[in-house]
Amino acid sequence: MADTNKLRVRLVTPDRILVDTDADAVEVPSKSGYLEALFGAAPLLAELGTGEVRLHGAQEGDQRFNVARGFVEVLPDRVTILAESALKPEEIDTARAQSELQEGQKVWNEAGEDAEQYVRANEIIAEAESKLASAAHKS
Amino acid sequence: MANVLDLRRRIRSVRNTRQITKAMKMVSAAKLRRAQERALTARPYAAMLTSVLQSLKRRADVYDPTTGDLRHPLLMTREEKNILLVVVSGDKGFAGAFNANIIKAATKFLNENGDKQIDVEALGRKGRDLFRRRFPAARYSDAQPQEDGQQEAVRRERHRSNPIEFVGESTVVLDKVRFDDVRALGEEIVARYTHEEIDAAYIVYNEFKSVIQQRIVVERVLPIIEPGRQEVTAAEEMTQEERRRTAEAAASAGVSLEAQQEADEEEKRFGTADVDYIYEQSPREIFNAILPRYITAQLYHAVIESVAAENAARMTAMDSATNNASEMIDSLTLTMNRVRQAAITKEIIEIVSGASALS
Repeated sequence: MADTNKLRVRLVTPDRILVDTDADAVEVPSKSGYLEALFGAAPLLAELGTGEVRLHGAQEGDQRFNVARGFVEVLPDRVTILAESALKPEEIDTARAQSELQEGQKVWNEAGEDAEQYVRANEIIAEAESKLASAAHKS
Repeated sequence: MANVLDLRRRIRSVRNTRQITKAMKMVSAAKLRRAQERALTARPYAAMLTSVLQSLKRRADVYDPTTGDLRHPLLMTREEKNILLVVVSGDKGFAGAFNANIIKAATKFLNENGDKQIDVEALGRKGRDLFRRRFPAARYSDAQPQEDGQQEAVRRERHRSNPIEFVGESTVVLDKVRFDDVRALGEEIVARYTHEEIDAAYIVYNEFKSVIQQRIVVERVLPIIEPGRQEVTAAEEMTQEERRRTAEAAASAGVSLEAQQEADEEEKRFGTADVDYIYEQSPREIFNAILPRYITAQLYHAVIESVAAENAARMTAMDSATNNASEMIDSLTLTMNRVRQAAITKEIIEIVSGASALS
């Protein structure tokens, strides 16, 4: 590679390799908050939260992807993001996200004493909300 | 001897059948190609997950400080009393011995573990129909609505009355496998294991490395003994004859046999580096999050490969059927020509002998 100050970014889901490109920086939603990786970052491994992966300075311009459930591995020259669900903003089905949101709220209301159900409800709600937010941000 | 008209009808009918089997073969070949591609794209994810898991294992804090064992509910082995068996079969027939072989392997497993309590879950219509008929369905007590109208939050209570029962709750559609459906199944299995409803989970499916490298395996998915290693408890390889037939069918349908190499290289690119990571969350936390995902990835992998194998089996079966039809047409045509010639000869003899009687 001629330009060595680029990060190699890969976004992989079980269905496809969504992104395999070079970028200046990448923002990743980890479970404990967003983190941004630049070239030369220290090796890091984190669990993915729900939110948006944002690529900056990629060949194709800045890109955003809504992701949920997965892991991110940061190495000095490459970032690999594993996500069970990853969507481009224009691929998000808002109607479906809405119904997922309602589903999550239903689980929450019916959870009663069960802590596990609350955790599940929270996950569903967070995912649906982040999808809606990404979709709304489209313009 | 049949007359010419009958034979001509027979030939026409066989020719029609051949056209159908040929079309089915080409359709299966196209589906196989697509399924193969899906299996390939799923690989980097699975490989990456495994390598992250292995690199985590090198970290000390994942282990129990006193015993030195890995600590996680999914790693705990218990005496196998209650077993879950997931059978991945096909949705449709016309695939040679594909479904029969899967069911045979599953039945063998059930017979060998006759002293234990086994739940059978089936993916694919063929297996589901059979096991639903053969074993009684699992019964649960209904969740009791409480006075304030809220649903009871505890897990449904199971009423087990038979050693082998059928639980058919999965919504996975083999024709259009979606990761989310498989995830639901995986999460259910993990939940049942952590609630100690089951002590082990096995999956029976047709492994598909390539068109000529397939086998039916019984694989243990839970408990995880060693991440990254396949826990195959029984396997049945293809016979030489089957392999030859499949290779022939693939060649005539234009499906390549060597689609895998490219993917293996792809897989290597995703290997984790041998470095000491900073962990954003504690390694334990990451470890706990990754294990259920690992199970799901394994299930997804099994389902995808089974779909590819089913289409390969159908392609082979339909190729055989097409060849048989061609042979039949040849032999029928021969008979028809003979019958026609016999009739002509007979008529000539009659005319000749009639003429000679007159003169």
